[in-house]
Amino acid sequence: MKNAWKAATVLAVATALVLTGCSDPGTSGTSSAPAAWPAQNTKLKGTTLTIWAAANSNKTPASVIAGFEKLTGATVKVVTIPDPYEQGVQTKVATGDKPDLAFWQPTGSELTALNASTNLQTLDGAPWLSSYAGNLKDITGLLGGKRYAALVTTPAVEGVYYNKTIFAKDGITSTPKNWDEFIADAKKIKAAGDVPFFEMGGDRWATQWWVQVQLADAAKTGLWDRVNSNKEKFTDPTMLGAIKNYQGLIKDGYFNSDIKTATFIDQGNALLGGKAAMALQVNSFFGELQASSDTATLDKTIGFFPISPSGNVSTFIPDQSNALVAFKTGDAQREAAARQFLAYWLGDGYADFVKAQNTVSLETGVATPSTVPSALKDAAASLGDSVGSMQALAVANPDLYINLADMIQGTKTPEQVAQVTQDQFAQLAKAQGVAGF
Amino acid sequence: MSSTPTIGRGPAGLGDRRRMLRSSREHPAWFLIPALAVLVVFFFVPTAFNFIYAFTDWSSFKSSIGFVGFDNIVALLGNGSLLGDLRITLVYAVLVAIFQNLFGLILALVLERDTRINRIARVAFFVPVVMSALAVGYIFQALLKPTGALNGIIGAVVGHPVSIAWLGSTSWTIVVVALIHAWKWMGLSMLIYLAGLKTISEDVVEAARLDGAGWWSSFRLIRFPLLAPAITFNVATALLGSMNGFDIVQATTQGGPGGTTELLNIFIFRTFGQGLFAQATTMSLSLFLMVAILAFPVIRFLRKREDVL
Repeated sequence: MKNAWKAATVLAVATALVLTGCSDPGTSGTSSAPAAWPAQNTKLKGTTLTIWAAANSNKTPASVIAGFEKLTGATVKVVTIPDPYEQGVQTKVATGDKPDLAFWQPTGSELTALNASTNLQTLDGAPWLSSYAGNLKDITGLLGGKRYAALVTTPAVEGVYYNKTIFAKDGITSTPKNWDEFIADAKKIKAAGDVPFFEMGGDRWATQWWVQVQLADAAKTGLWDRVNSNKEKFTDPTMLGAIKNYQGLIKDGYFNSDIKTATFIDQGNALLGGKAAMALQVNSFFGELQASSDTATLDKTIGFFPISPSGNVSTFIPDQSNALVAFKTGDAQREAAARQFLAYWLGDGYADFVKAQNTVSLETGVATPSTVPSALKDAAASLGDSVGSMQALAVANPDLYINLADMIQGTKTPEQVAQVTQDQFAQLAKAQGVAGF
Repeated sequence: MSSTPTIGRGPAGLGDRRRMLRSSREHPAWFLIPALAVLVVFFFVPTAFNFIYAFTDWSSFKSSIGFVGFDNIVALLGNGSLLGDLRITLVYAVLVAIFQNLFGLILALVLERDTRINRIARVAFFVPVVMSALAVGYIFQALLKPTGALNGIIGAVVGHPVSIAWLGSTSWTIVVVALIHAWKWMGLSMLIYLAGLKTISEDVVEAARLDGAGWWSSFRLIRFPLLAPAITFNVATALLGSMNGFDIVQATTQGGPGGTTELLNIFIFRTFGQGLFAQATTMSLSLFLMVAILAFPVIRFLRKREDVL
């Protein structure tokens, strides 16, 4: 009797261990020999590719998929991963679930978060690289000297979207050339009884742009390299100063009165409706404006200029909708098909894609459609001499925006924001095994 | 279990042994394996891993998992966020336990008599219990935002537009989300209190009435003390259940404004999302410990109250 009990328990535990597998489940990956690039029209009948996309990027590849399926006979499925997208994907990958391709923020920190060297195919030697215009080839998508992401749309930049009508009414004839002029214009707008800036403290995530654009000059001279090696901290004068500056502007009444509760949608409505003159935002903000207005109206009312302490350097921040990564699935045929799909997207399929998405082209051989709003073209043009954001250049991406939102609510001081952000950054860097932490 | 009596045949031990033999023939221990395997896979192993992973450096950044001893625990204790969030979680749980039981008890008393209208009303109040917590959260978030329906109604009554940010106060939002949580679950408490009220013998209440007790004093002196088992269950489940709260708060405030409603589970979710799996596990272990430490005294205290029965 006792023995039978013992046997039953041992058997049950053994079964359980076999079933759960006592190891990190997200680690199976094949070796990484230099990949061959199949011709774009290689027949793929019977092959099914899966692409993971977020709610705001799941329609993006439609024209490419239609063209690719027709050309090769493959089937391409898009699976929408619910928001928060990055957390959802990371959790799935950690438990061993992988697609063939996924939309992914092509920055070092986010590629690290996916454990790129184990989970992703390298895209070195991809056939489309020589087609990229200007400095786009090496602007992002690289980690440890290897290429893991394919940029398909223009990376987002942080800059100022402004209401042209309010600028004209308050006597501002040209956009500011540096931070001091920018603040001087804000003073002018405030004096005229308008609201200079609109911030979405309720939705939180845009709060970090205000700190990041103030760091553009420092970023040019290697700020993030120093942060990555623990030689400079968020609590040091450069970054703490930017945080304090932001709080000062809020305290002095340059922002909307409902800053604590305002949302992303409120921000779009306020700028379009002339309730505020400026919003420091990224490209997805303009997408929000496009959803409620047409190109002609937008060209007439909304303009864009980049801003940095000493000039007009924009800060680039590629996001999940800008790029794709290809996973090592262990199935050599599907891995090759995934590379072929990317080659088609940025090859023969690119002209159709740019037209269908009405977006700025990244390639020299493909023209940007004339129907793309001018503010978007200006944002893309500013990429040329842009500098990387925290997301693009830091080894980890701490929740700076949540801490800044807490500061807006009054529960954290600028010093606490800097300290909590630094602590989290150090924790993430240590987990990655970065030297110096 | 068969209960065939062994009537005076041979020594008592023999009958016992025979019974054991028979029962092990009828119910061999290996019959337990399927159920035990399921229990072990889905309960014991995850719980054990909850302990094991807390002492490793498991993250999304590398493939290997190494033991790091007490590093995670030391780092967490040195970081004020964990203790702050544990405090918020405790405040939230206490508020939910108070509101949910108060509302549930009032509803049970109001809907005590078995009339047709009361039966319909009981179903209506039970509906939120079976609704998705996230859906409840999103509905309330829409109702309570500055341009939401609640302000619209108040505005129509007072005659001028109102834009109160119901979820915008750094000191009162936790009360609002606790009220939403209590609203969702009060139907369950009501049901249990109704069942408790039904078990009270009519004779006792009638005796009290003959002694001249009014509604209030018969409730205070007779019926409420007799509800003790229902109170034990309701308070314990509400208090300990809401310590694990996540969905409603995530849907309404995401831990804001200013981190004042950041329950530990929201912090765990955020840490896990950063790829720091081991640290997230350590936090969930600390939540587990806090629930366990709280559960024993609370349940013992509530069971002591039942001694009057």
